[in-house]
Amino acid sequence: MQERKVLTELQINDRLLWPVLETASWWWPAVTVAALVLGCGVTAVTIMVTLGEGTTGLNRPIFWGFMIVNFVFWVGISHAGVMISSILRLCQAEWRRPVTRAAEVLTVCSLATAALFPLIHMGRVWRFYWVFPYDFDRMLWPDVRSPLIWDPSAIFTYLTGATMFVFMALLPDLGILRDRTTGWRRTFYAFASLGWRGNPRQFKLQFILGILLSGLILPVFVSVHSIVSWDFAVSLVPAWHATVFAPYFVIGAVHSGVSGVVTMMVVLRAAFKWQDYITPDHFDALGRLLVAVATAWLYFFMLDLLFAIYGGETREVGVMEQRIFQWPWGFFFFLIIVLGYIIPVSAWMFRSVRRNIMWMFAISIMVNVSMWLERLWLIIPGLQNKERLTFDWAVFQPSLIEIMLVFSSFGLVCLGLLMFSKFFPLIPVWEEKEGQLFREEIKIGNRIVPAIVRE
Amino acid sequence: MAEPTTAVKERKWGMVVDIDRCSGCQACVVACQSENNQIISTEDIVQQKRPHVWMRVERYWEGDFPNQKAKFMPVMCQHCENAPCEPVCPVYATYHNAEGLNVQVYNRCVGTRYCANNCPYHARFFNQWERNTDSPWREAFSSAQMIAEPMNDYLNPDVTVRTKGIMEKCTFCIQRIRRVTRTAKDQDRDVKDGEVQPACVQSCPTSALIFGDMRDPSSKVTAKLKDARAFHLLEDLGTKPSVTYLKKIDPNYKPAKGH
Amino acid sequence: MMELTRRDFLKVGGATAAGAVAFTGCAPSAREGIIQSPLLMPEDTLNSFENWYGSVCKQCSAGCGIVVRVIEGRAKKIEGNPDHPLNAGKICARGVSGVQVLYHPDRLRSPLRRSGPRGSGRYTSVSWEEALGEVAARLDALKKEHQAQSVVMAVAPLRGVAAIITKRFMTNYGGTVYSFETLDNTVVRRSAEAAFGDALLPKFDLENATYVLSFGANFLEPWLSQVSYNRAYGEFRQGGGERGTLIQFEQRMSTTGANADEWVHLPNPGTDGVLALSIAYVIVSKNLTSAANIRNATGGAGVVALRGFEPAEAEKKTGVPAARIEALAAAYAKAKAPLAIGGMGAAGHTNGLFNLSAIFTLNHLVGNVGRKGGVLLNPSGPTREFGDQIAADPVRAWRALTDRMQNKQINILMLHDANPLYGLPPTVKFGPALKNVPMIISFSSFMDETTAMADLILPDSSYLESWGDYVPDPGVAYETLGLQQPVVNPLYSTRSFGDALLALSKTAPMGDDMKTGLAWETTKDALKALTTPLYEANRGSIRKTEGGKTISQELWWNKVLAAGGWWDERGVKATPIAPKAFASRDATDPKFSGDEKQYMFHLNIFPSAGVADGSMAHLPWTQFTPDPMTTIAWQTWIEVNPKDAEKMGLRTNDIVRVDSPVGSLETTVYVYPGIAPGTVAIPAGQGHTHMGRYAEKRGANPLTLVDPEMIDVSTGALAFNATRVRLTKTGKRYQLPRIEGGAVEAREPYDYTVIQVTDGKGGGATGGH
Ligand SMILES: Nc1nc2c(c(=O)[nH]1)N[C@H]1C(S)=C(S)[C@@H](COP(=O)(O)OP(=O)(O)OC[C@H]3O[C@@H](n4cnc5c(=O)[nH]c(N)nc54)[C@H](O)[C@@H]3O)O[C@H]1N2
Ligand SMILES: Nc1nc2c(c(=O)[nH]1)N[C@H]1C(S)=C(S)[C@@H](COP(=O)(O)OP(=O)(O)OC[C@H]3O[C@@H](n4cnc5c(=O)[nH]c(N)nc54)[C@H](O)[C@@H]3O)O[C@H]1N2
Ligand code: SF4
Ligand code: SF4
Ligand code: SF4
Ligand code: SF4
Ligand code: SF4
Repeated sequence: MQERKVLTELQINDRLLWPVLETASWWWPAVTVAALVLGCGVTAVTIMVTLGEGTTGLNRPIFWGFMIVNFVFWVGISHAGVMISSILRLCQAEWRRPVTRAAEVLTVCSLATAALFPLIHMGRVWRFYWVFPYDFDRMLWPDVRSPLIWDPSAIFTYLTGATMFVFMALLPDLGILRDRTTGWRRTFYAFASLGWRGNPRQFKLQFILGILLSGLILPVFVSVHSIVSWDFAVSLVPAWHATVFAPYFVIGAVHSGVSGVVTMMVVLRAAFKWQDYITPDHFDALGRLLVAVATAWLYFFMLDLLFAIYGGETREVGVMEQRIFQWPWGFFFFLIIVLGYIIPVSAWMFRSVRRNIMWMFAISIMVNVSMWLERLWLIIPGLQNKERLTFDWAVFQPSLIEIMLVFSSFGLVCLGLLMFSKFFPLIPVWEEKEGQLFREEIKIGNRIVPAIVRE
Repeated sequence: MAEPTTAVKERKWGMVVDIDRCSGCQACVVACQSENNQIISTEDIVQQKRPHVWMRVERYWEGDFPNQKAKFMPVMCQHCENAPCEPVCPVYATYHNAEGLNVQVYNRCVGTRYCANNCPYHARFFNQWERNTDSPWREAFSSAQMIAEPMNDYLNPDVTVRTKGIMEKCTFCIQRIRRVTRTAKDQDRDVKDGEVQPACVQSCPTSALIFGDMRDPSSKVTAKLKDARAFHLLEDLGTKPSVTYLKKIDPNYKPAKGH
Repeated sequence: MMELTRRDFLKVGGATAAGAVAFTGCAPSAREGIIQSPLLMPEDTLNSFENWYGSVCKQCSAGCGIVVRVIEGRAKKIEGNPDHPLNAGKICARGVSGVQVLYHPDRLRSPLRRSGPRGSGRYTSVSWEEALGEVAARLDALKKEHQAQSVVMAVAPLRGVAAIITKRFMTNYGGTVYSFETLDNTVVRRSAEAAFGDALLPKFDLENATYVLSFGANFLEPWLSQVSYNRAYGEFRQGGGERGTLIQFEQRMSTTGANADEWVHLPNPGTDGVLALSIAYVIVSKNLTSAANIRNATGGAGVVALRGFEPAEAEKKTGVPAARIEALAAAYAKAKAPLAIGGMGAAGHTNGLFNLSAIFTLNHLVGNVGRKGGVLLNPSGPTREFGDQIAADPVRAWRALTDRMQNKQINILMLHDANPLYGLPPTVKFGPALKNVPMIISFSSFMDETTAMADLILPDSSYLESWGDYVPDPGVAYETLGLQQPVVNPLYSTRSFGDALLALSKTAPMGDDMKTGLAWETTKDALKALTTPLYEANRGSIRKTEGGKTISQELWWNKVLAAGGWWDERGVKATPIAPKAFASRDATDPKFSGDEKQYMFHLNIFPSAGVADGSMAHLPWTQFTPDPMTTIAWQTWIEVNPKDAEKMGLRTNDIVRVDSPVGSLETTVYVYPGIAPGTVAIPAGQGHTHMGRYAEKRGANPLTLVDPEMIDVSTGALAFNATRVRLTKTGKRYQLPRIEGGAVEAREPYDYTVIQVTDGKGGGATGGH
């Protein structure tokens, strides 16, 4: 049961569509900044592809570094959209309404960004299509035993599903936009809305499609980070082939993804002045959800550590030793726990914190710093102390190119979101209106409060 | 063994490394570089921990001064029968052939480096830098700029020159295996034991390295497999290497405590 | 591509076997060897058509036999010659790198005349006729002024035909020949002479020895004859007989020390001779060997000759406990095939000759001289001419020459493969003295430090493009002659040193006496003429008459070329002479430059594994060859004991300043567990200012630290281990290029299943798994 303001349809249209119909004063500067950040990455990739991977800090035996860390990180962030949309949709959680679209778009943008990383990470990017079965004549098949075949399959399935999901939920809004625009924009929206008229049959079909897609995408959502984890878990690298990796990665992804949504919502609320739509109630709900997610994540985090100790295998224990006691890994370990669990969860215990926008903003960023470090912490040490041939043990130091790539990936995701916001409303207009239909006023004590019956 | 010599014989190539003979002289390292067109690992590249040494001589210190000891162990691709590097390659650029070799197809490799992560022997080397230096700005920024004209005249025409983005490793000098087996086939005879000599084996002054067919019961390598000193590197991983090591003998050896 | 039938193959193969050089007419193409097709699996490797030519390796003074793989007129790979008795098909890293000498981008490609001030590096290309004409004119003019004695020829140590031509040329002209080697073998040669009556380096028969005492002899690295010693070492370990025991005495653990069964650190440097004589004392006083041996080794004097070297006395001097000396003596005397070897570590002191001759004489004490598993003496060469050699002159001689140069007594300095400007300690002031030499002529194929001062350069061909010969030094204990032939057409307008001298001797103005003994047109003619006695002698590996059939000299010559040389296992040395009873007592105790308080560390200088004393610094592969112990490539470093490092707060990769009484340099620390506290070691070979792109501006030259006053008192050779230094932290750091990862202080294998050892008894104990 939640409080909800009474909003007229006109107000909703005005407040939610203005970023599309007009241009916010900060929009161009924001796009420029994001594009510049992205430009950094484009430069870095150009240099890297021309000169070779030598421009990164990778060496022998550390063959995977920042790019793979960043890949896992963005796949993680991409778990927010489906987590929020499909699960909450299936549960008919009413508070989801203003949050879903932004979360889904975040999924698509971050997933597309993530998918770029294994690609540019290849030594010969220009041959990327060799991982697909295309050359039937010469019997040049990819090896289906390799997780690097499962990986693109899972990611592209998820990306397709998530895009469809966004599109499905966008249809009614496209209709609204078509009716409110002129010129080429009208033509565009008319084409994109696929003849949406908003009649009951269309709404019914769209509703069924929503439920169906939610159901279908859930297994993909679980599989995608499991499969990403298999890139590590099926390998022979000490501390990588942990059996708990699959669920551990999924829950970690939800942790960082939902936190990412919190960060984004704070920004949207301020940028588009959507205080009436994104309310402390939302942050409160997400905060409560996060307490559970974070705790589950910590449980798996600890399991991973404990299993190494239980197994007692020298090389596993060796890597764990390095992770916990050696500079800088021990420091990262400390940061991961403190920033990823201790500070956030203790803060989220307080309702006042959960409802404080700035606190939530700070904490959600903290969580993602921790989660980025966690991926680094999971991936690098195992390679640094790979197997017992200590003669070759080396350390990894990222190069400027890699740092630029990581930095620019944030620019790319932001640019994606900004572009989307210019063409489509980031809060589903029809959902808000639908939400208003379920609004009622109930009496609590001697106060009359607006509320929603469906909960 | 009387058998038709024209038929392709089932072979399993293997190497024996006698650590008790090896003096750590590095002849094998440079011989392999020369035979297999490896990049010149410049000072930059070595500092970056990316030297290409398909064959490397690992040196392990033991004890403390003045009872200091050092031991050498040459390590190259072990041509594992259960090669962890193989199933993770998405494009079949590395696979097992009928003669027990872990083959690397340079032209097929897309450079994911997964195989190298999964090789417990650190036996794989990635071409991190463009070695072609015909453009001045590449020349200025790339570390692999040292093969200058006319040095490319000594490149071995039997071995592909690898460009950036490609994984490479010891091939057991497959070009030499091919040359010998083809010559033998032309002459309608069997390959003789010791006829195939990879570059490292051929150069090794102490004869610490032996190469041959492990399926041939009369070959030198087969005889060494039964040696009491024989063991495999990281045997417990179950990779079943084709390289067999013979233990070093230390007359003053006392088992380490705590094991 | 040309179709080759099987018959063609046999034909060409046959021609190769006969040793004829198939010169391909075409010039080297710009690029080749890049085969790239998306379909070709390595299974389907294309094999090219190859020729193999026998020749001799000239990358060090050992003289191994090589075979060179040549495809389409280009040298592709160098392997050991399986027939050559010295290396039997094996080769070392430097030998393999020979193709880089041939195809080095910085080779000098034609005669050059200086066109700017000296050292400016400005040269103009001239024709051979012009260049030779100029030299001839100058030589002629000096001769006419009766100044011939002011002409000096400085060469690297030479043997065989090159030595003959050089010597005859200079003798006839009236000038002097000097020979230069950075870390020379003078002391070893003179000590061998003292102990075995022969200045030729002996063969220490490691292969058949069972108990070896090695005093500072790093024979598994570039000392004397790397390949043959390594070959012998393999047999010494696992050759089928008793597994040999190797005891290594040294200051800094060398590769040989790492391979020893027992590594004995000598606390006091330069006391090897005392230790050896103390071992002798124990053997003699306890009669652990036969009376005849004792008589032989002590010149009949018995234990009296060894007074003063009682183990207790020796312990004081050497720092090795008396009990250990006695145990070593007993084990040595008792062994089936004992052998004592002495090397540069013991030789590089002011008492070098004393040390080495004492060590060498230990062999007489167990009667192993001339015996299998002992010291085998080498015959000089198959003929007197081939035995001819120009051995390195000690630093004393070079200082005398420098003085003559300084006093303007030298008018022409000719250089061939000698680089004294790099190799002599700077305090000898060879560089300033060069200014007073009116004409400097270099026959170098690379721009080295001394050549950069030359007025005229007549570049030598590489050894893969020219004719020559080499009697291995040290040899294999029987007559051996390696033949060197061109395996490819000369790439540039260069001439071999011998050919250039022969051409010079033909130029008319120089007078008829120049022609005496130099009737040959080319080195090849010289070789053919000089080998005629071998053909006539009708013995050895390739004979004039085989199975009743006599072959022509031409065919014999071709066969010898194809085999890479000629050898005769029965051509051995007559019995050795008795030693001059523990010969030298000139100086038993070493002296050091630098006061102990101010300069806390003994400095050891050792040739690096790849670039040796610096003569190999121009090749990328030798630069890359990792030092077996530190795994460092491309750089100079200083080895510091972990305890000393801790005391001074030094870590690997810290840059320190090293000061000696005469010089100073900066280099990078490698914390080295195998070096004695109070000793530091720096490899020689780097710090070149000229020598091509791979050598220049890299590392430091430790010879700048060596005090040239410190010479072996008996021979005048440089005592390069007799200087003390001090270290100062600079606060700067440099990442040493190492093959080892160096991520952790992972000194030991993480777990012992990695490298397993047995106690040698049952082969059972795996290192504690
Ligand atoms: N020693 C030891 N034994 C164990 C366990 C242990 O930890 N240690 N764990 C136990 C447990 S919990 C489990 S679940 C079992 C698992 O044991 P198994 O059920 O045997 O599972 P896997 O070994 O993972 O895979 C079996 C085979 O299936 C193949 N395979 C993969 N995909 C397909 C497919 O689509 N079709 C077909 N036909 N084959 C396919 C794989 O290549 C593999 O060869 O092992 C149990 N046994
Ligand atoms: N990479 C990878 N992941 C997998 C699989 C795989 O084959 N590879 N298989 C999947 C399957 S089928 C399964 S069933 C799961 C299994 O996944 P897990 O249940 O994680 O199985 P294990 O890794 O075999 O065992 C977990 C740890 O428990 C420790 N342990 C042993 N005995 C005890 C004990 O008495 N008490 C406690 N607390 N710990 C103990 C072991 O040493 C080990 O480190 O993994 C799944 N995930
Ligand atoms: S040693 Fe490494 S590269 Fe070679 S086969 Fe085994 S796993 Fe593969
Ligand atoms: S680097 Fe090449 S060989 Fe290795 S897994 Fe990737 S594509 Fe395969
Ligand atoms: S077998 Fe060939 S490729 Fe392998 S290490 Fe030896 S020389 Fe190199
Ligand atoms: S060449 Fe032989 S002796 Fe030398 S390091 Fe290699 S394996 Fe050891
Ligand atoms: S030891 Fe000397 S002569 Fe022999 S191969 Fe090596 S460099 Fe050449």
